[in-house]
Amino acid sequence: MSDASAPGRQDTWDLVRRDAGAWDTAGEIPRTVLSELGAAGLLCAEVHKQYGGLGLTSRDSGELTAHAGSLCSSLRSVMTSQGMAAWTIQRLGTAEQRAAFLPRLTGGRLAAVAFSEPDAGSDLGAMSTRVRHDGDGVVLDGSKTWITAAAYADLIVVVARSGDGAAAVVVPADTPGVRIEKVAHPMGCRAAGHAQVHLEGVRLPAANVLGGGALALPFLITTALAYGRMSVAWGCVGILRGCLAAVTEHAATRHQFGRPIGEHQLVARRIAELYAAERVATGVCREAAEHWEAGSPSLVISTVLAKHVSATQAVQGSASALQAMASAAAVDGHVVARAYRDAKLMEIIEGSSEICQLELARHALATRRTTARKESAQ
Amino acid sequence: MTHEQHTSQAPLDTDAVIDRITRFVAEETRTTPDSDQDLFTTGLANSMFAMQLVVFLEQTYDVTVAGPDLQLSNFRTIKSMAALVDRLRAQSATGTDV
Repeated sequence: MSDASAPGRQDTWDLVRRDAGAWDTAGEIPRTVLSELGAAGLLCAEVHKQYGGLGLTSRDSGELTAHAGSLCSSLRSVMTSQGMAAWTIQRLGTAEQRAAFLPRLTGGRLAAVAFSEPDAGSDLGAMSTRVRHDGDGVVLDGSKTWITAAAYADLIVVVARSGDGAAAVVVPADTPGVRIEKVAHPMGCRAAGHAQVHLEGVRLPAANVLGGGALALPFLITTALAYGRMSVAWGCVGILRGCLAAVTEHAATRHQFGRPIGEHQLVARRIAELYAAERVATGVCREAAEHWEAGSPSLVISTVLAKHVSATQAVQGSASALQAMASAAAVDGHVVARAYRDAKLMEIIEGSSEICQLELARHALATRRTTARKESAQ
Repeated sequence: MTHEQHTSQAPLDTDAVIDRITRFVAEETRTTPDSDQDLFTTGLANSMFAMQLVVFLEQTYDVTVAGPDLQLSNFRTIKSMAALVDRLRAQSATGTDV
């Protein structure tokens, strides 16, 4: 997707392209930029039109996410958080809650989703943040860590234990008892507003508990993460596209030993690696998007595959890009320097590569005879 | 994957629903469970497979499994899933939303 074909105003994308490096070094995206993109519906573009959203398909939303990611992974991370919050509200909330909260997310308010805790990362089942009923409301206590976009968020969807089950609670960030503490120097997506979220006796109306009652924690986590993983996967496609544009331009115009460096075979190999990485990541993301659009149960596994493959490709591709560009890109803020740092974070968040691999292996093992039978029948 | 999109909300034959869900579970787990076997305690299902079941029911029976219905108890056995489908189709036939 080019700037011209991306939804949203051309001058906004121009601004993102121009300032992404400065936001990275400053560790912050101006609030006005995020609010403007949010009010245009671009931060959670799959929200239905009845709630003020753009109602994009999974594929179109993915291409938009990749476009943002090619310019600024910090901005794309904010999109991932906003989109995941909207998806969680859409999926778990009642009709009244969708009508109450989704228009805020398409109207310029910013949102985050809080899962991780100091002692509950990959093992989210170990989370200890708790919500309890008290009178006609609820009270939340606990701490969440490394919550993307929480430093910007007006609303934080907090996942907590509730009785024997779990609940997702929409917490306005200005509620008494909420304390947001920004992660000082994240190594990647430096302007994505990562923060710790401390909750001490946070009192809210029961209407802020999505779906009203306690849900099964595994359902809740898997549901919310599915959207986040697709968004991260497309963001990695964007990282690769940003690198490919920078590297091909550089390799075609910089001369060493009397010819463009792209004509030197070892540099050409880096370009080929990067090109292949972008195509592979795009392929797995498109397949997963098709499954989402068809409502196919295969979307669950293809989403994990897309996230894992795209993140791995982004790490390898951005390393190839940096090697090819050498000192031309070895400056903080440069699109390829950012890609190199941001991509590594993508192997860690939204289900680490290791967690994704465990899920893929489990699926491959569970379906092994089915696959063999299908192939022998062909 | 067989797509059995039902556009009308006519009552379904419960045995046929149980049979269709059983086939899906068998395809995805290489095991054919009894209709009242607990899929989670017997290790056939985990949270990823639970979500596959949600999407499968939504696609096959033209229903939406919204927040309050995302309870493990609704997905614990093939019979409980068939009961969920029955209830959701009855609700959407009367225009009830959550």
